[in-house]
Amino acid sequence: MFQISTYFSLAYLVLLGITVVLCAVLPKNFRRLTLLFFSWLFFFSVSGKLMIYLILTIATVFNTAIWLSNVQKEQDTAAKDLDRETKKLIKAKYQRKQRGILALCGGINIALLLMLKYSPFAATNINTLLRLMGASYQIRVPSFIIPIGISFYTLQAVAYLFDVYRKKIQADPNPIRFALFMSFFPQIMEGPICRYSDTAYELWNLERVRFENLILGGERIIFGFMKKMVVADRLNMFINEVFTHYFLYDGFVNALAMVCYTLQLYMDFSGTMDVVIGSAQIFGIKMPENFQRPFFSVTISEFWKRWHITLGTWFKDYIFYPVTMSKPMKHMTSKARKKLGNHYGPLIAGGVSLFCVWICNGIWHGAGWHYIFFGMYHFALILGGNMLEPLAIKTAARLKINRKSLPYRVMQMARTTVLVCLGELFFRAHGLRAGLVMFKKIFTEFSLATLMNGSLFTLGMDIFDYYIIIVSVIMIFVISLLQEKGINLRQSLQKKNLAVQFTAVYALIMFIVIFGAYGQGYIPVDPIYAGF
Amino acid sequence: MDDRLIEILEDIQPEVDFRNCTTLIDDHYLDSLSIISLVAELEDEYDITIPTVEIIPDNFNSAQALYAMVKRLMEES
Amino acid sequence: MKYVKRIVLSLVFIAGLCGLLLASSRIFVPKSNNKESGTEEVEANGILGERPKSVDGVVLGDSESYSAIIPLQLWKERGYTVYNCGTSGQTLDYSQVMLKRVFSRHKPKVVLMETNAIFRPISRSNMFYTMLCERFSIFRYHNRWKSIDIDGISDSVNYTWTDEWKGYRYSNLVNASSSEGYMSPSEEYADIPEANLDYLKSMKELCDENGTKMILVSTPSTVNWNYKRHNSMKEAAKALDLDYIDLNVEAKEIGIDWTKDTRDKGDHLNYSGAKKVTTYLGQYLQNTGLMKSHLGDPKYESWDAASNKFEDLISRQK
Repeated sequence: MFQISTYFSLAYLVLLGITVVLCAVLPKNFRRLTLLFFSWLFFFSVSGKLMIYLILTIATVFNTAIWLSNVQKEQDTAAKDLDRETKKLIKAKYQRKQRGILALCGGINIALLLMLKYSPFAATNINTLLRLMGASYQIRVPSFIIPIGISFYTLQAVAYLFDVYRKKIQADPNPIRFALFMSFFPQIMEGPICRYSDTAYELWNLERVRFENLILGGERIIFGFMKKMVVADRLNMFINEVFTHYFLYDGFVNALAMVCYTLQLYMDFSGTMDVVIGSAQIFGIKMPENFQRPFFSVTISEFWKRWHITLGTWFKDYIFYPVTMSKPMKHMTSKARKKLGNHYGPLIAGGVSLFCVWICNGIWHGAGWHYIFFGMYHFALILGGNMLEPLAIKTAARLKINRKSLPYRVMQMARTTVLVCLGELFFRAHGLRAGLVMFKKIFTEFSLATLMNGSLFTLGMDIFDYYIIIVSVIMIFVISLLQEKGINLRQSLQKKNLAVQFTAVYALIMFIVIFGAYGQGYIPVDPIYAGF
Repeated sequence: MDDRLIEILEDIQPEVDFRNCTTLIDDHYLDSLSIISLVAELEDEYDITIPTVEIIPDNFNSAQALYAMVKRLMEES
Repeated sequence: MKYVKRIVLSLVFIAGLCGLLLASSRIFVPKSNNKESGTEEVEANGILGERPKSVDGVVLGDSESYSAIIPLQLWKERGYTVYNCGTSGQTLDYSQVMLKRVFSRHKPKVVLMETNAIFRPISRSNMFYTMLCERFSIFRYHNRWKSIDIDGISDSVNYTWTDEWKGYRYSNLVNASSSEGYMSPSEEYADIPEANLDYLKSMKELCDENGTKMILVSTPSTVNWNYKRHNSMKEAAKALDLDYIDLNVEAKEIGIDWTKDTRDKGDHLNYSGAKKVTTYLGQYLQNTGLMKSHLGDPKYESWDAASNKFEDLISRQK
């Protein structure tokens, strides 16, 4: 809890506090500089000299965007007052040039990410391959220290570049504004992955900190701490124990660890997002949400629109649609639709793009075969779900089941949750092989013996820990249900009288103080997504 | 409002009231694969090209918005 | 006006929160100092259960200290009442907490600080956490919600328990160490974290205020100690005006035999090693003239009883 390099640290809160106070008293011009200064200070204090990578990305992308927009301007002047045919030729010429620029700069930044994150993995696999082929030669496995947030800010930079290329936004002529957009400290480590149009100008025209925002943001931060300290950290020892010594335990314990891990991941990441978005709210900045109650999803496809939303939309906008909308793919879709009909026709092109998205998604999460497996698993589920959908609709109609009825939807939600949990099992397992063994155990060695003889409660969580987890989950479930119904709890709280407001906040703080898993005997979970 | 458009939409996703719904994307009625079908169908039907930039929630959230985009693209080409 | 109102509101909020933390601290604080009541590090905190003002000497430090210094031997040989408040992996922030607790109950003449803990770095966040725990003990004892006794929450604190060996932890294991290169002279200095020197200084000031002499002691260990550390410790002791004895330098004179006197290859001493160290320290303490014998004093009968029990255990082990 008390180390820097996580948003759940005292160091972060102190830094946030200082920045907030400064932004409450300084004039506008100084506010933005203060924000940039403290953002870089934060990055430097976590990653030190590796900050050079961030600066490198900012510098290359900033200049490339300007270069791109200059080429676009040249194109417009060159194409002025010309007839259609010549216009087309000129356009094609400039398009080629723009694509080259885009590929060069985007390529450099992606290559940097790939080199830092994946070259050890690639080298290990090449060595295995060499060994299998009987070669005695082995290449050196490099090792890099990775700057924080590189997986997040690189995507943010590439999106900016693409948007300039697509003329969705103008290239930013101001390096400071762009640098601030890239390095805003509450979000640099774990996202949300923002678009330039989302936050760049809000950060630049930073308002004076307002008291209402301070309260609203503060409340959200405290709620995030609750998720992380009471639930995610409390689950940590049990999860570590079972995932490390999975072979010692039966199917029930493995299944429970799987569910607990899914819960932990959700609580850790969405709790972090509460802290991040809450912090931004204090500054009056509205960040895109990263979670929208994902466990209310009826399909896997919907799940991914509600879980790590900004990553999903990034993949959709910069991989899925560009691939499906490319000329050969469109051509294929048109043809396939005529042969296979409206539902299955687009599935071919869609399938190819989905495959690209999920390979990238798997790899983005880390260098390891189990991450790739995780990606492929969700690819298969989404594609399979789509292929079966007409059948499901027909079957439901024949059986006279109302697909919109609550029981049916709850059944769908439960199914989706189970599928998600199974995916997270592989995601967390120590390698693909361990994941497969655990998976098999769940179905072949299921027994409630550990629950009956009480040995379950010696694996890092006693019965009281389970009680408090259950209570917290029910609380968070009720809150989610209200949010799902469109009720904004914090805003309705603000309309209540002071006594009620104070009591609510005090209750939440004391809940964390008493039931948080901190101090002697606890090891907090490292921020999971900061490692990706 | 164009009836052809509604037909196309209903063909792709029969369970939605397209005439009144304004949250097709936000409430997850149209997923990415249905959007591919939709785009292909619209391009054929209206003889237009829909570039990737146009594929944003604002353009796909309601039948009205979709039709507005189609009309705009028809004029441009 | 708006700003005044907001500032007042914020202050009221913070004051209310502090009040809540204090109130809950009162509820959660262990009502005694035994394990069942929820006290941490009970062997060390057993000192709180000793008769007030009865302990004349206190040992602070990590596992080196509770493996090397035997209070009941000092009692038997010299009639000194010494309590060993060493805890495993002790860091100086906790040593300081321990020292404050000691002074709240006792008026020791001597505090022996084992030096290995002085080299253990403490993260800033842990320092802050310890500080927070001192202000609001709820942060240390919050986990007691699992075992809290509803009837007892309003009870006042009453320390009743003490460790039968006065904080010493017995081991008769032998796992020999090579003494090759051990304490070979060096001109270099080992690094003592800056913050640790501050802790040491404030502990010394606390001792001064209470008229207590603080003495730094390095107990023998081939794993943890070397000449670089000796040099730094000597320098620090001089700067802080503290007495310092390095038993590693005296190991030969004390008679430490590294083939017999350590339980884990030179990391910690076993009973045989501790006995030798304690005998030596007893002589040292006598030379200081700070402590007096309570042998034969009926008020200290419990120490005789504990000592006999300990002797009994030792003789059975052999």
